Amino acid sequence: MEEYITIALPKGKLFKKSVALLEKVGYSAENVVEDSRKLIISNEETKVRFIIAKTVDVPTYVEYGAADIGIIGKDVLLEQEKDVVELLDLGFGKCRLMMAVPEAKLRGDLKNYAHLRAATKYPNCAKKYFNELGIQVEIVKLNGSIELGPIVGISEMIVDIVETGRTLKENKLVEVDSVFTATARLIANRASFKLKFDRLHKLVEDLRQVLEDEGKK
Amino acid sequence: MANKVYQVPYGTKDILPGEMKARRKIENSIINVFDKWGYDEVQTPDFEYVETFGSTGDESNFRFFDKANKLLMLRTDMTAPIARLAATRLESGEKIKRLCYLANLYRYEEIQAGRQCEFEQAGVELLGASGPAADAEIIVLAAEAFKAAGIENFAISIGHVDFVNGLAREAGFNEDETQELKACLRRHDAVAIYEMARRMQNISQEIQKLFADFVFLQGGIELIDRVAKIVKDERSLAALENLRKIYELLEAYGASKYISFDLGLYRSFNYYTGMLFEMYLPEMGYPVAGGGRYDKMMKGFGMDCPATGFALGVDRLMLALSRLGQKNNRSWDALVAFPEGKLQAAIQKATALRAEGKSVKLATEAMTLEEAAKESQALCCTSLVYIA
Repeated sequence: MEEYITIALPKGKLFKKSVALLEKVGYSAENVVEDSRKLIISNEETKVRFIIAKTVDVPTYVEYGAADIGIIGKDVLLEQEKDVVELLDLGFGKCRLMMAVPEAKLRGDLKNYAHLRAATKYPNCAKKYFNELGIQVEIVKLNGSIELGPIVGISEMIVDIVETGRTLKENKLVEVDSVFTATARLIANRASFKLKFDRLHKLVEDLRQVLEDEGKK
Repeated sequence: MANKVYQVPYGTKDILPGEMKARRKIENSIINVFDKWGYDEVQTPDFEYVETFGSTGDESNFRFFDKANKLLMLRTDMTAPIARLAATRLESGEKIKRLCYLANLYRYEEIQAGRQCEFEQAGVELLGASGPAADAEIIVLAAEAFKAAGIENFAISIGHVDFVNGLAREAGFNEDETQELKACLRRHDAVAIYEMARRMQNISQEIQKLFADFVFLQGGIELIDRVAKIVKDERSLAALENLRKIYELLEAYGASKYISFDLGLYRSFNYYTGMLFEMYLPEMGYPVAGGGRYDKMMKGFGMDCPATGFALGVDRLMLALSRLGQKNNRSWDALVAFPEGKLQAAIQKATALRAEGKSVKLATEAMTLEEAAKESQALCCTSLVYIA
């Protein structure tokens, strides 16, 4: 009997596209919806099981082997540095981590932002970014509405994800520098990748084919 | 006022009755296997001068000073201390040295499945032998250690450092690019490697494809045949040939059913020079053992010789066993209990039973038969001997 493949899916902006993409390669189950009251949904026929998880928890589920594979943004992977196998760039969910300041606080050189405060949901990425610039910055960790930081005065800068840039404009913030660009990734648990290699390898090949075909359209 | 709760430091733990009994049993069976294969057990200090660990010293180490202000370090792995011991303390007459150990190691790191800051490893080092026979012996020994611990369902992946080096050279990589490739392999980043392959120019399509799939170069002996027809670099080809020879010997040992190849395997220790391997269990999300060949390290300690070895994580092994449903079996064969005035007779009886090889608890005070029956259960004794 074949073993189950357990997939951790992130709630939020990556959810729908993840489900649709997996369905194209035969990984589906009934009622895989974001607000599902069931936390684990199984398809006995295809031996696939879905765990619907909070976005930031997906790498943890996969690292500990509670899920064999998962779909998660590269931004979350870079922030958490979990020990997982990064199998495939899925191309969707494109976003950018950037550093922004209020228009009035713009300073010519990046070095001039030293010793200021930066509000962010990504403290590790922010720390690394400023380290590489060779400047010290006080990191203020927030869990949402980062752009509020400079408005309410708990920081001078923000390091945050942008997709369209509209929120920035509405809050009179100017992008100063781009930290990285991120897309959704397919990740796997290290042991699962070995023990269920054939199925996972085929999944990656199939997904690659689907993505390539979509790219041609 | 509430009493103060005394805690152990972050990343350390107590091992409790029952738990420790089960662990000791496993440790003993592993050391017995090593002994059966001709390995001498040794022990080295928990801390050493920092230079013993050379380049492996980094911020994940526990370091401190002695009274003369020399920098000391709690050991982070056993390969370097064993190399030091072999080079400086052992008779140089014996060309081949087989050594094994059980040791607590210390790394300051985030607590994760079965891995604490203080953790225990069992392992072996085979010094002085360079051929595939030594590597096959090490791999089979790792499998035997798990079998002795009662685990049969595991998988072993084997790779080769020189396959990676050779393919990097064939791709025209310079030293920096090769290091970057290794970093990607180490963190299992197939996406970054795929991107590297896509950026390549002036290279055959076959090699480019092979490179793009680096993390997916896994499979049985047929993978070695397939890849050997594609690569041209002599280092890669020699590595594949070496893996094939090791595999043939593993077949002779009857161990090939556990084996698969992973040509993109690259472990975080940078001292490996030849084949390397990792072991996985379905119960655990992380490798439970790993090792490989390190032919250059011994020279640094003043004894230029080839070497190969492996270590397994005892804590992870115990965790896997408990996930497999193994219970901590805490029991003794008998309680010897007695009524008022019969203590001498009870002592004689307990002594006689122990001489027969039984494990015996002696009641600490006189009691009735009913009390003794209850006491025997409370003390985890499987039988009661009551002196009438």
